[in-house]
Amino acid sequence: MTRAAVAVLAAAGAAISAYLLAARGTPICSTGGCEQVQTSSYAHLLGIPLAALGLAAYVTLLASALSRSQIARAVGAVVALASVAFSVYLLVVQVAVIGAVCEWCVASEAVAFLLAPAAVVRVVQ
Amino acid sequence: MRVNLLGVVVVGAAALAGAVIAASLLTGRERRAASEGPGVSPAAAEIGAIPQQGIVLGDPDAPRTLVYYGDVQCPYCALWDESDLPGIVDEYVRPGELRLVFRGLAFIGAESDLGLRAVLAAGLQDKGWNLLNLLYANQGHENAGWLTESSLRRFAASIPGLDADRMLADLNAAEVESELADSRAAAQAGGVEGTPSFEFGPTGGALSPVSQEELESALAG
Repeated sequence: MTRAAVAVLAAAGAAISAYLLAARGTPICSTGGCEQVQTSSYAHLLGIPLAALGLAAYVTLLASALSRSQIARAVGAVVALASVAFSVYLLVVQVAVIGAVCEWCVASEAVAFLLAPAAVVRVVQ
Repeated sequence: MRVNLLGVVVVGAAALAGAVIAASLLTGRERRAASEGPGVSPAAAEIGAIPQQGIVLGDPDAPRTLVYYGDVQCPYCALWDESDLPGIVDEYVRPGELRLVFRGLAFIGAESDLGLRAVLAAGLQDKGWNLLNLLYANQGHENAGWLTESSLRRFAASIPGLDADRMLADLNAAEVESELADSRAAAQAGGVEGTPSFEFGPTGGALSPVSQEELESALAG
């Protein structure tokens, strides 16, 4: 059950990240904030677009959900919890520093929040 | 055993998140902004000897016009300024084939507005493009204090022929206000939703939106 939840949420997160990566700075966005956030200097980390990092994280989570091994569960939980912490940071950056909110980014961050409990339950159950 | 594994997971996640957040905070444009003294844009040398009139760079009678919509705090604008602008200036503006019109927008926040006003005020001394390039070459984090009256004075002082005191006194000049309003109106009329954006066409004729990717072939055509 938790395995399926991780898989479905990871697939959703991967789809959002892939869209953000493909739209490269000009995602369709009703708030008008996407462009501002996506073109900000916070949209890249060491030259890598954050959407690509998000995609890598969600693909890792999807792969972890496909395996029942303890290592895969642990790796999934590490990535999921780190994603939650980084999502909180990115929300703060959007609101407090950039002064604009990118709804696709928030959607990806929401997926990270939903996914983490399931990934953690897989470790302790 | 499971509890121990959970502990390892939590510590691992904290380390991973800490590293990523630290990298995000420490890298990027802060490094450039923190460097001592204003850096020089690759376009600076190209722009130096070309005539300017207000927001227009190049021969006012050039047969073709390229309108550039930019925000001084927009990183993709700084990238364009660094990578594409020098070639465009060298190949088309210098020989008198193209005039470049800067339409400044301030959508990233208070420092965009201040920086844009300074560029337009420098434009009143026909040094707007020089300051614009200098700001892009020294761009800092959005609204983190890299654009203040004192940093603008420092930037302006490094541009020969630009009177920094006069520029700062002109930040709210009527000509600057009217230029801001004209740019906003032009952006709205042209459906411009972000920066950098471009419009290209015959001088005095109808200009069409052109993407950054199409710009090179449009100019060559």
